Amino acid sequence: MPLVSTRRLHKFFGRNHVLRGIKLDVEESEVIAIVGRSGSGKSTLLRTLNGLENIDDGTIEVDGTVLQVDHDDPGALRALRQKVGMVFQQFNLFPHLSTGQNVTLAPRVVKRTPREEAEDIARRMLERVGLGEKFDAFPDQLSGGQQQRVAIARALAMSPKVLLCDEITSALDPELVNEVLSVVRQLADEGMTLIMVTHEMRFAREVSDRLVFMHEGRIHESGSPQEMFSNPTTPEFASFIGSLN
Amino acid sequence: MMSFSLWDIVRNLLVGGALTLLLSLAAFVLGGATGLAVLLARIGRRRAPRALARMYIELFQGTPLLLQLFTLFFGLSLFGLDVPAWLAAGLGLTLFTSAFLAEIWRGCVEAVPRGQWEASACLALTYREQMRHVILPQAMRLAVAPTVGFAVQVVKSTAVTSIIGFTELTKTGSMIANATYQPFLVYSLVALGYFVLCYPLSHYAKSLERRLHAAR
Repeated sequence: MPLVSTRRLHKFFGRNHVLRGIKLDVEESEVIAIVGRSGSGKSTLLRTLNGLENIDDGTIEVDGTVLQVDHDDPGALRALRQKVGMVFQQFNLFPHLSTGQNVTLAPRVVKRTPREEAEDIARRMLERVGLGEKFDAFPDQLSGGQQQRVAIARALAMSPKVLLCDEITSALDPELVNEVLSVVRQLADEGMTLIMVTHEMRFAREVSDRLVFMHEGRIHESGSPQEMFSNPTTPEFASFIGSLN
Repeated sequence: MMSFSLWDIVRNLLVGGALTLLLSLAAFVLGGATGLAVLLARIGRRRAPRALARMYIELFQGTPLLLQLFTLFFGLSLFGLDVPAWLAAGLGLTLFTSAFLAEIWRGCVEAVPRGQWEASACLALTYREQMRHVILPQAMRLAVAPTVGFAVQVVKSTAVTSIIGFTELTKTGSMIANATYQPFLVYSLVALGYFVLCYPLSHYAKSLERRLHAAR
């Protein structure tokens, strides 16, 4: 049974039909890269998976928790969000909290983890992203790459089943991109289920098990990245990868 | 005819000034507490309290303070309630202050970037938990300087209560001016009194603004 599964997902922004029937299954430990031109619906798709955007039709199921249209069940939404971590383009760390507090906040507040245990988890997660010594630093004392790694540690501290990454290197200076990508690669190697929207085509090709190309609100083409890059089957994907070079 | 020494004038003005200070403090503290409740209703997710809070704010922002005081002072006596001037003044200023503070603070809550809401929502925090741990602490930081700045407005607004007969600084001043025939001297001293109360506040607001700005 897939870990994440969506059926006939539809989403409108006003009259704009941004998701036009998405069927996507993601197995445990699978690494999915969603690519496409801007406006193709890829970020919106990612944001529906943890209920940041509501949907107008269809269902989303993550590890047995079903999310319906309208999110009329706040319990289900909260349960789902504990299984789905998310990392953003703009990091969105809490600027008034130290790195350690950023990472311990949700375990303490949502899971009622005792302080010491939560801090233990936070230290381990910060180690995991190579920032063990930054526990007491504040976000504005860190570089963009470090902030993004803290954001990853913050998501991991809730032990999510799947991690969503929304263009997480797009706001970084070029020399900081690799430190973040190497953390993501390491997570993939450790068996984390990852769904990422990315513009880093080379990275997507190397790390992902499956590439999903979105076009006009639909999954237009998907498959193994090697296969797709060497033999694009649709003219849209061919022109998309052609425009990258 | 009685004669007044400068000390007589100053001594009486000091008493009036103390009442002005007391009224400002009461209005600010009680208005702050009420304003917080109005704020929470105004930004909450329930529709009815939100609409009520908006009406409340618009009512007090959209009418002159003087008329609010008249309504309280004379209006309530129509219902047989004998409202003393100090009570009408305190109540009127409290309501006035609460509406303005609620609106100032709402601006601060809305100035917290949307990404903060999204990031905390993704971590499965409820609305209350988001407010308490993520949004309000950041909004409070933004609110300090404009709130202290508004305190200056409150101090100056207390002058209006002289019209319903509350003997704060301005009312004391006009009584002394009538008795001494020295309006220029007396009103200059009254103005100086307000300045002494307000200048440190506005100076403090400015330095807070600089400091909190630099820290971000």
